[in-house]
Amino acid sequence: MEEGRELTFESPSFFKRLKGMLGVDFYRLFHTPLFYIFLCIAAIIPAMILGMVGAEGAEPLYDTAWEAIAVGTPLYTFEEMGQYANMNMVFIFGGIMVSIFIGHDYKSGYVKQLFTTHAKKQDYMISKTLSCAFAMACMCITYLLGVIVSGLLVGASFEVNAYSLICAILGKMVMSLGWASLYTFLNIIFRKYFGISIASSFFFGTGILIVGLGAVLQNSPILNIFLYGSSVYACLSSDILTVLVCLAVSAAWSFVYNLLGTLVLYKSDVY
Amino acid sequence: MNAIEIRDLTKNFGEKQAVCGLDMTVPVGAIYGFIGENGSGKSTTEKMICGLLPLSGGQIKLFGRDYTDGDVRAKVGVLIEAPGCFPNYSVWNNLMLQAANLSIENAEDEVRKVLKLVRMEGAASNKYKNCSLGMKQRIGIAMALLGNPKLLVLDEPINGLDADGMRIMREVLVGLAKDHGCTVLISSHILGELEKIATHYGIIRGGKMIKEMTAEELDAGCRTYVALQTKELSRAKAILSCRYSRVAEENEYLRVYDAEAPEAIVSLLYKNGILVSEIKTAKIGLEEYYIDLMNEKEGR
Repeated sequence: MEEGRELTFESPSFFKRLKGMLGVDFYRLFHTPLFYIFLCIAAIIPAMILGMVGAEGAEPLYDTAWEAIAVGTPLYTFEEMGQYANMNMVFIFGGIMVSIFIGHDYKSGYVKQLFTTHAKKQDYMISKTLSCAFAMACMCITYLLGVIVSGLLVGASFEVNAYSLICAILGKMVMSLGWASLYTFLNIIFRKYFGISIASSFFFGTGILIVGLGAVLQNSPILNIFLYGSSVYACLSSDILTVLVCLAVSAAWSFVYNLLGTLVLYKSDVY
Repeated sequence: MNAIEIRDLTKNFGEKQAVCGLDMTVPVGAIYGFIGENGSGKSTTEKMICGLLPLSGGQIKLFGRDYTDGDVRAKVGVLIEAPGCFPNYSVWNNLMLQAANLSIENAEDEVRKVLKLVRMEGAASNKYKNCSLGMKQRIGIAMALLGNPKLLVLDEPINGLDADGMRIMREVLVGLAKDHGCTVLISSHILGELEKIATHYGIIRGGKMIKEMTAEELDAGCRTYVALQTKELSRAKAILSCRYSRVAEENEYLRVYDAEAPEAIVSLLYKNGILVSEIKTAKIGLEEYYIDLMNEKEGR
């Protein structure tokens, strides 16, 4: 027995803990092929959409290449595919990526290892949200590159109000945070069921619920309080106010989902 | 001070009560062997101690503080089931990631230190998925040792290990307790191995602690027996059974429990024309003690 040995207990501060956990998550992100595969997918989506413009006999979906980024005015419902197929699709594929990334945490036993130490549940939620938001923001950038390259290849028009375009892209990138927190939350809820995690992420990512609600509420701006609503709101007629709305909505939902996710983690068993 | 102090611990999974009113005391510096049959609640108890399962009732204190206290949790190392490693990363990278999670300064030195402790320095660059079971268990221990823990909780760490692996694990654990003042809570079904290192024992059955004792108390509580060898085992057993309450045959030996003296046994058998080729007195081990206790509880 070590009767004389003095026992002192001290745990790292919140920022030190978060820094360590973020370091691990980003290391894993940059060292997994999954991340690069989804970056490529994000770049290929607009190429496929814009390729249809050049296809013989195909109805052009867009007047300009930038419409593959966002619609001209906020349209929460859509009548044709071109109004739906834009940068928001990154959030659908991003959801699948987050599901696989977090699913691997549970499968490998990493979460178990993490929670047995000083790591707090909210640290995990925050770290996952931030790293996955970063991944989705990167997907937005490769999507943008995909639009530019494929637009040039098919000879699409690049006419646009640059200020509004930048605001729209910034708005969508900012929304990554909110979407990442939603997917992290969904994956915490369905942590034991990997398939359901992916399916639920895909379902919510499509924004189908808000599209339906948009049909009922006649495209009301009140839909901006939702993640999909704000993502649509970041359109080619955006200004700085749009970015601020996206920021506020994204941050608010991120806070809510992090809080709920933390509560679920505290109340539930870790497998 | 006790490293672990559990009072009236309860865990329900729906209708099923996995742990019911369990009390447990693990002194600082002890190697505590936690024993019980499958489904008795060992792993559930360990998972609750580690903060992986919320309690349904009761209290857990680690070093006098609530078990959820972040400061005290930072000093707990755990190996439950399998280590949480990424299969495609090397042993070194896995440990470095855990070190980052624990916010360890001088992570490289620390990782080198724990690898040396578990005798895995040579395998640092191996991918985790290519490691043998014994190596994986030792990596798990190394991972649990990062951050200089004061309490190690190990669930079946010697399962599946070969004789050499068990010996290494035994030496590592004893060294940790003796040289590093680490308290070890270890559950295992391999009681013979556990007996070689444990200083304290806790026996759980049906989610309840039925016995807690020190190694000395176990030794004092273990019954003695006389073991003998003869060419006529069956006949000797029949003769001795008439005189002694319990006579059992084991590995070509006859065991006579609660016998007053070996001379009386030899004399009795000699009178009946049976020659004894070998005789010795011994004490039952942990395994037999445990089986006896279980039988007693089942009223057998």
